[in-house]
Amino acid sequence: MKRLIIATLMVAVVALGAMAQKTTLNVLYYVDATVAGYDVDQAIWAKFEASNPDIDLQKEELFSEPFHQKMQAYIAAGTLPDVFYMWPSGRSEAVYEKHLAKDLSKLLGADFLKNFAPTATNPKALGDSIMPASQYQAIIPQAFTLTTAVYVNTKLLKDNGFAVPKTYADLKKMVPKLKAKGISVMMLPDKDGWPAQSCLFSTISGRMVGDAFIDQVKASKAKFTDKPFVAALQAYANLFKDGIIPAEDMNVGYSEGTGLFAAGKAAMYIDGDWRTGGYITDKTSNTALISPADQESSFDIINFPSIPGEKNAGVVSGIAGVGYGINNALPSGSAKEKAAVRLLKYLYSPEVQKIRYESGAYVPTLKGVTGTVEPIIKKMAAYKNAVAKTTYVLDGVLDPSVFNVLNAGLQGMGLGNVEPAKVAADMQTAMDAWLASKK
Amino acid sequence: MARKKRIGREEGRAYWMMVLPALIVYMLVLAFPIVLSIVLSVSNYNGGKMFGGESWQITGFSKYAKLVGDPLFWNSLKNNLYIVLISVFGQLPLGFIFAYIIYRKTVKWPNFWQGVLYVPNIISVIVVAVLWSTIFSPKGPLGEAINSVRFDAFHVKIAALFSGQSGFSITDDLVRKILDIAGPKASAIFTDPPAELKDFLASYSPDQLQQLITDMTNMFVSKWSPTFLGIPDVAMLPILFVTLWMWTGLYMIIFLANMQKIDVQIIESARIDGANEGQVMRYIVLPALSGTLVNTAILCIAGSLSSFSLVWAMTGGGPNHVTEILAIYMFNNAFLGRPDFPLANAIALVMVTVSFILIGLTKAVENKFGGKGE
Amino acid sequence: MSEEIKTTALGRFGAAFAKFLAYFVMVLFSLMTLYPIFWLIMNSFKPTREFQVSQLGFPHVPTLKNYGGPYGAWKLGDFDKLIPNSVIYTLGATFGIIILSVLAGFAFAKIPRKATKLIYASFVIGLLLSVQSLLIPLFLEVNIMGIYNTRLAVLLVYIGAGLPMGIYLSTEYIRGIPTSLVESARIDGAKYFRIFRSIILPMTIPVATTLAILNITGIWNEFALINILVSKTELKSLPLGMYRFSGSLSSDWGKQFAALTIGTLPMLVFYFIFRKQITQGVAAGAVKG
Repeated sequence: MKRLIIATLMVAVVALGAMAQKTTLNVLYYVDATVAGYDVDQAIWAKFEASNPDIDLQKEELFSEPFHQKMQAYIAAGTLPDVFYMWPSGRSEAVYEKHLAKDLSKLLGADFLKNFAPTATNPKALGDSIMPASQYQAIIPQAFTLTTAVYVNTKLLKDNGFAVPKTYADLKKMVPKLKAKGISVMMLPDKDGWPAQSCLFSTISGRMVGDAFIDQVKASKAKFTDKPFVAALQAYANLFKDGIIPAEDMNVGYSEGTGLFAAGKAAMYIDGDWRTGGYITDKTSNTALISPADQESSFDIINFPSIPGEKNAGVVSGIAGVGYGINNALPSGSAKEKAAVRLLKYLYSPEVQKIRYESGAYVPTLKGVTGTVEPIIKKMAAYKNAVAKTTYVLDGVLDPSVFNVLNAGLQGMGLGNVEPAKVAADMQTAMDAWLASKK
Repeated sequence: MARKKRIGREEGRAYWMMVLPALIVYMLVLAFPIVLSIVLSVSNYNGGKMFGGESWQITGFSKYAKLVGDPLFWNSLKNNLYIVLISVFGQLPLGFIFAYIIYRKTVKWPNFWQGVLYVPNIISVIVVAVLWSTIFSPKGPLGEAINSVRFDAFHVKIAALFSGQSGFSITDDLVRKILDIAGPKASAIFTDPPAELKDFLASYSPDQLQQLITDMTNMFVSKWSPTFLGIPDVAMLPILFVTLWMWTGLYMIIFLANMQKIDVQIIESARIDGANEGQVMRYIVLPALSGTLVNTAILCIAGSLSSFSLVWAMTGGGPNHVTEILAIYMFNNAFLGRPDFPLANAIALVMVTVSFILIGLTKAVENKFGGKGE
Repeated sequence: MSEEIKTTALGRFGAAFAKFLAYFVMVLFSLMTLYPIFWLIMNSFKPTREFQVSQLGFPHVPTLKNYGGPYGAWKLGDFDKLIPNSVIYTLGATFGIIILSVLAGFAFAKIPRKATKLIYASFVIGLLLSVQSLLIPLFLEVNIMGIYNTRLAVLLVYIGAGLPMGIYLSTEYIRGIPTSLVESARIDGAKYFRIFRSIILPMTIPVATTLAILNITGIWNEFALINILVSKTELKSLPLGMYRFSGSLSSDWGKQFAALTIGTLPMLVFYFIFRKQITQGVAAGAVKG
């Protein structure tokens, strides 16, 4: 009897041991369930779970505001998940400031990092503009993002006797004829507030004043109220005054844009390079907003036409993309840390990156990824190759207290009820307050 | 004496056993967070782990000073007061009128109307917001409908210029007439309207008359674009409308419920004595409901000052802050970019204070103009 | 004489006009309620492409694709898991709120005690709070108590958040019950709990119904608090599932409308089954003067 008890106990201990070896990994992930390619995304995670039975993956999926609320709550309570989705700037600022994510260059090692584009693994080269505050490798950006891309309906232009525009004058020339057809020349859905800044004004500012000027403003050596910057704001406002972008776009939601453009309501559409994913074939329903054949024959992606008075021709706003951070609180050498590293290495593997590339999510920073993609993604890659120089995305380099003023001001100017000088003055006020709080 | 004491003890024990469960849950869920809010609002905590992390301390009322100096705070307070106003002076009277109509059986099928009018209350705010913001979108159904009406009207005007003709010839007179109809729209599109329009017309051949008419209409018709959604104050209208739509049914049901408690005999005999509907309402129903009115007004004020979800889901406070209300202003400070929790908490406390003042005013009005209906 | 005729004619015209106006407003408001819901449900049977081209028309060929299949809204939103949770939270918390409120309400209204004034006032202040301001402190607290990611946390917070309204309404209601009932029972030697059970509780059914109605719809649709309180899909509620479909990057309108319909229908069905009880329930116990 005694033996039996001992044997039972031993079995129990062994069983418990086996259970204890299963490492729980909490992941906070950012995804929208209706995005094209959600099935592919889920398959990526399912495969990791299947091939790592010793890891118990607890994935929390949130999107948009609920994600950010939850992140702030986790930070305040000091209970960040083991692995979390993270931005190289902006809304993840608290993570950098408090050093809440591990330094991946130490954790993953040079051998792993050398597989990526050099800029993606060199926080110093990225500059404090992109990896703010502490300048360390909290994430490996999965991609580099150009936040301005002009999607062109070339067929629509051709039918109306226009060529793909190269200058501002070309745009202006299109206004009467396209208006007569009930079509906008350019579309910029900005109800959500950030697209006008991220996808358009950052590029305009880069061309009109350049990064050096922004750096000077941050160092109190220049002001937003200086003439060149006001002129940049004015150049943006002119797009609306001249009828190129309709004022009503300020009340069109970001999610409405792609459909309206695909339906031919605008000849051109301003968005970021990531939006190609919205047009390609959705594997689950086998439908595409723009069919591959049309992508090939009737659409193209171009740089924003030249603007009168620009200094830096052809530059486009760009920023390092998102990645995954590992909680700095995990003890080094712990099972959890090892599991987190295994997950990261999987997520950055050529296998997964190829899937991301093919699903139109982005062009990876991981070297040597190729795949079969739809025409619009090829065209996007060609456009990105042709961009010689990038400039700051303003919400990546300015404090939220400043760029929120800009975002709101851009909406106001689009609607035609605020003057550029006023927006510049408000921005400077916010900037001064921020500079003062830094001291 | 001993018995009295025993009763007293039983009384105390019963009291606390009944109150404590609620009190404990309340303390945990609301009271502690409020106290923490108050403490945070006068501290310099700036994100990061709150307990056991980096240190933070009480630094005083600087955040309150910052609030008072921020025009955005006053802007959101003002917008919030609009919501309070539409609630107290829109939802309540309208709810009362609906209730009265149903109560007095002015309309047939009272149960049907009552049932339908309450429906907005049970729908999720997420659904309500998606529904109405799609409807109010420039490219939404409302815009689509208005634009097609405008298009047709304008089309008729342009077509009238060519009535009875199968083709057209470009004359200065024609150009002038078109520009007359187009009005200021023309100079927004062309820098030199007469000359450029002439060129433009020349790009059509005479047999394309119908096409030309349609194109002219497209070009010059002033499209319905909800630019009012960007104008301060005016932009609140859709939100106020949806607020009214959402909650009126609730108050209607509450009023109706209390009206049904009134003795029917009183109203019947008043009617026989020659009182009209207006007098019945003024002298019988209103006084009977005065207490209910005050209580619903209090619920209304408290609810509308702390409202968040609807505006957040409809506009997020934009564009350019024009629809921002206090709760969103607070939310932006707590969750957008680098969080400023002390400021966010200061805002929350100001919201409570404003509620207090308004409810105090309501009570004062009640005391001044007639008391309870009983 | 002639004056009198005039007034009655005018009165008759006025009454007719008032009647017309009454119908007009009723029909207008009803249309504004029914049409959007109809529009929502109709569009959930349209492919996204079709919706983008025509938002007003009927679906050419109604499709269930947005709902069913491995990538329909039902599966993507995990609604099979969320709906039972929503039911548990809604019923559990509503029940908790009613019991605690009526108990405390009785004590406040009928047991004379000095402490009442202060405690009651502190509950009523709770009516003025906006949950958004409490998200972070609540999250901290739930973590400290070790009940993060549990149903208990959700129920506790929902009950706590519902108490101010519950206590306010039930105290005011019980105050309206004649005190003589309680006093005579006391003279007969009944204890308070007995009085509560046999006299007060049956009389509070109207106010309990009112509370149930207000809380069931409120809790069913709540999403800010629960988003902070749990992270496991198995513990989430229906609005969180709906929210996953309404992101600003979302491009799949069809699925979004399907998800919104799934979230709305249970409540509509509930309402139309219990409409009589709901309206009568409020009729008996609503906010009193």
